[in-house]
Amino acid sequence: MKEVVCKKEELSPGNIMSANVGPIPIVLCRTPDGEFYAFTNKCVHQGAAMSEGVLCGAPAPTDTPGEYNYEKEGEILRCPWHGIEYDIKNEGRMLVDPNRKLGNFNVSFEADNVIVSTKQ
Amino acid sequence: MAEKKQQKRAIIDMDIHERVTYDELLPYLDNPWQRYIKDTNWVQEKHLPYPILGAAGLDRADAQVPDGRPAGNDLSFMQQQLLDDVGHEAGILTGAGDPSPSSMNGWYEMAVALATAYNDWQIENWLEKDDRLYGSVHIAAQDPASAVREIERVGSHPKMVQVLLPIDDRPWGDPYYHPIFEAAERHNLVIGMHHQEPPNYYGKFPRYFVEWHSVMPNTHMIQVSSMIFNGVFEKYPNLKLAMIEAGFTYIPAFMKKMDQQYKVLRHEVPWVKRMPSSIVKDHVRVTTQPVDELTRDEFLKFIDLMDSDEIVCFSTDYPHWDYDSPFRALPPLGEELEQKIFAENARKLYPKLPARERKVTQ
Ligand code: FES
Repeated sequence: MKEVVCKKEELSPGNIMSANVGPIPIVLCRTPDGEFYAFTNKCVHQGAAMSEGVLCGAPAPTDTPGEYNYEKEGEILRCPWHGIEYDIKNEGRMLVDPNRKLGNFNVSFEADNVIVSTKQ
Repeated sequence: MAEKKQQKRAIIDMDIHERVTYDELLPYLDNPWQRYIKDTNWVQEKHLPYPILGAAGLDRADAQVPDGRPAGNDLSFMQQQLLDDVGHEAGILTGAGDPSPSSMNGWYEMAVALATAYNDWQIENWLEKDDRLYGSVHIAAQDPASAVREIERVGSHPKMVQVLLPIDDRPWGDPYYHPIFEAAERHNLVIGMHHQEPPNYYGKFPRYFVEWHSVMPNTHMIQVSSMIFNGVFEKYPNLKLAMIEAGFTYIPAFMKKMDQQYKVLRHEVPWVKRMPSSIVKDHVRVTTQPVDELTRDEFLKFIDLMDSDEIVCFSTDYPHWDYDSPFRALPPLGEELEQKIFAENARKLYPKLPARERKVTQ
């Protein structure tokens, strides 16, 4: 399944939007470096719409209590409900449990069109 | 995002937070209270030393009213996002904790005025505008005589189903507060307790929010034991207590703990005549939310250890960040238990809720 979901300029870097690929609701994310990523628009925890969440960064794991190294600004998608963090540049895996991840889609381009398709 | 299918079974949601703004309360207040709020931009003191770290703070990031007002402030948006979408049969309003008159540490007269104004605002704008919504009587419990007057004033409203007490640092079982329980019992009202901003770390706050939120059941245990060992349920045998928003997994361990302590220390509290666990089974109900993630087997083990399937009642906590979805929060538990948890236990708890609709079979 394949769908033109928007024009590139319709989603500026650092933002997210909802769209559909056929009947499947997706969340389209654009990281600050301009790359596009698409995932199922449903949190794997209790099913909130990820497109209502926030694109942010996250404090890196550390061995030192009290140390905050905020990184990956614009690459972490946090769920609008309980706030679980997904790393969008790492296949939408949960930071807290990388074995769990959002459903992934392929993103390609034709001229200015952003095309999202289901993975084969 | 709208859920595609509505919940198949009846849902009675025991924790929905409607939110007032101080501006909206002004018409319900006399002077000097109105002037005090307007002239000094007064808002109630807050205690939490950290922000609530959901993606958008206290509320679900998708629950802000589309015109920018805070989550829980608009009935029609709540209807659309929660009551209609999920298909609630009934929901019980528990306020948004601001103001929380019984939490005020000074000027109790102001607390009394706020409670009265809040109740009038709640009745007019929520309870009388949606059949599904039921309310909590807000009181200033620091001043039990005023609290009783307020229960007398609005407690017989057909849609007021409980008296709300915040959990802060006052254990409510103290005989000083018993007139409140007497009035609640007389009006068929449950006592609902919901935490406000209790210091839960040796009377202070732990360093991190995740600690504060993880040990919240402690503050609920303090209240349950206070009510039991101060003899509240012996004195008011028809009174029921709803402990809202600490989940339920702490209950079985706490029942065992209190029973064991009671066996050896009964001589200190001779007015308590039976095992605390049996008092819990008859008088105390707790909400599912915030639910611990459990498999069906694990969930059933907890129910088994409580020796009762009538203690646990469903709640969403809408519109807060730790909202539980009626579709996803609980594992499948079988029709009978699901009916009890999602609706029938709450219906039994609150005598003023409508009776169960009988299914018409063709
Ligand atoms: S629904 Fe996404 S974190 Fe719970």
